[in-house]
Amino acid sequence: MDNQQQLENLLTTVDNITVNLDNQRRIRLDVPPKELPALLELLKGRAGFLHLSAISCVDWIDENEFELVYHLWSYQINTLVSAHIRVPRDPGVYISVYDLFQPAAFYERDIHEMYGLYFEGSPDMEKFILTEWDGPPPMRKEFDSEAWVNDHFDWQDYRPDWLIEIEEQGGGIETRPDEQRFSQSKGK
Amino acid sequence: MRPENYEPKHHPPSTEFELNFGPNHPGIEGNYALKVRLHGDTVVEARADAGYLHRGFEKLMEQRLWIQNIALVPRICVPDPSPMEVAYSMAVEQLCGLDVPERAQWLRVMQLEMSRITAHLFYFGGHAATTGMYSPMFWGVADRDLVLDLFEELTGGRVYCIYNMPGGVRRDIPEGFLERLSKLLDYLETRLPEYDNLFFTNHVLVKRARNTGSMTQQQALEWAVTGPNLRATGLNFDVRRDDPYLVYDQLEFDIPVEQGGDALARTLVRRNEMQQSIRILRQIIQQLPDIKGPIRAPIPNPLAWNVPAGDTYVRLESSKGELSWYVVSNGGQKPYRVHVRGPSAMHAVQVLENLSKGCRVEDVAQIMFSLDACPPEVDR
Repeated sequence: MDNQQQLENLLTTVDNITVNLDNQRRIRLDVPPKELPALLELLKGRAGFLHLSAISCVDWIDENEFELVYHLWSYQINTLVSAHIRVPRDPGVYISVYDLFQPAAFYERDIHEMYGLYFEGSPDMEKFILTEWDGPPPMRKEFDSEAWVNDHFDWQDYRPDWLIEIEEQGGGIETRPDEQRFSQSKGK
Repeated sequence: MRPENYEPKHHPPSTEFELNFGPNHPGIEGNYALKVRLHGDTVVEARADAGYLHRGFEKLMEQRLWIQNIALVPRICVPDPSPMEVAYSMAVEQLCGLDVPERAQWLRVMQLEMSRITAHLFYFGGHAATTGMYSPMFWGVADRDLVLDLFEELTGGRVYCIYNMPGGVRRDIPEGFLERLSKLLDYLETRLPEYDNLFFTNHVLVKRARNTGSMTQQQALEWAVTGPNLRATGLNFDVRRDDPYLVYDQLEFDIPVEQGGDALARTLVRRNEMQQSIRILRQIIQQLPDIKGPIRAPIPNPLAWNVPAGDTYVRLESSKGELSWYVVSNGGQKPYRVHVRGPSAMHAVQVLENLSKGCRVEDVAQIMFSLDACPPEVDR
């Protein structure tokens, strides 16, 4: 706990920060977006938080904000710090922390692809997973995947004409319309 | 990317050429691709190309009930699915403040360690194949099947167990299960020296893997390498011991560490981890009969379950490294946001790109397998 005491003392030197001790090895910090790079540098340099475990993005559509959560682990004091910031959804720009943590490149690229949040200074913002996707960023809350499917794809036709023809000649396996679970033509 | 949409961006001078390594290639793990630029036999640059296995789990989970997601989560990583369901269950429990009964925690550890053995058996078969040895693949997969038989008996599922649920596990062990597990462990222990002879001390492996794809400890920390790959660089760190979850703090086990950070060191760490998993399972066999009590905590009606608002970050040690889940609830019946951070998100992209640089083209596959990268974790 001595180490953690030191960490708490360190955090008191940062302005505008809310510290919550979730349990022994988890600390939640809420910081204004402006202060975050300085905070991460302080944690990395003074408390051994070398490991950027993940950057998570949450889309709070009602508040019109993106929440970014930087999870850092210190091998020195065995503690996880989650630093939360909120950035406005519009225009959706934030700064990269790639110069501090190299793994940030992957997470920032991923968030840009899935949420459309741009990171200035990140080494590569090109598409990665959704290479051939030209729709809106799919992880945003306003993106309705079911509506997208209905607009862009055809449902499988379980009773094509050629099958009806065969059935009329006494062949085929008949599936009554009310048993067609996945057909959109159900009930028509 | 479909071939018809592929436009090579760089046209390098005549001495260099571009090679598409994957997505359908025996030297690549799963549906994944590397675009490799070569100068002769030497790799100049490698770029990871993911997305062939993207199923949109994170979006799907936002559209399903908390309990429905249990059937979805193991499918994120195929070779080692059990840690996924345990991590998700632990996240929901932390959000609800549910206390998991002790017996359920022991059963979960049993499942996790069995799963670790299956993953490592699968892994060493794959690694052997990239060095031109195909027999270890048959041995590894055949012995893995014996563990899967026990999974089937315990849970009904061989690969995707879906054994956990928020609050505990689905059912207790069948009669005589521990004896059969004990017999299997005896068998696996007699197999380890045979694996050594066949693979781990084989000259083909030693000559091919030593100094291949090596990284220093400093590099490993910079690139957020975790798990066995990190321990192969000499850092003695394991989430099970240093950030304990479930009942790992009541179990005795060593943490295998190797020096050098090359493909050989990574293989040996995993080989020794199998031994430690057997040791942990033996302790469970000994202690589980004395731990009485329920196997799950009572939960509210799972079909109308409002999980309290909040967020939680769960970490655990999967066979591939640090697996973390960030789960956010807004008090509704479905998760508001789920973020899965698989260890391979780092290993298969940044680390693989960095390590492939400068190596020979025939070593790329070996580096990828020795990192035990699991592409489904990248794509999700």
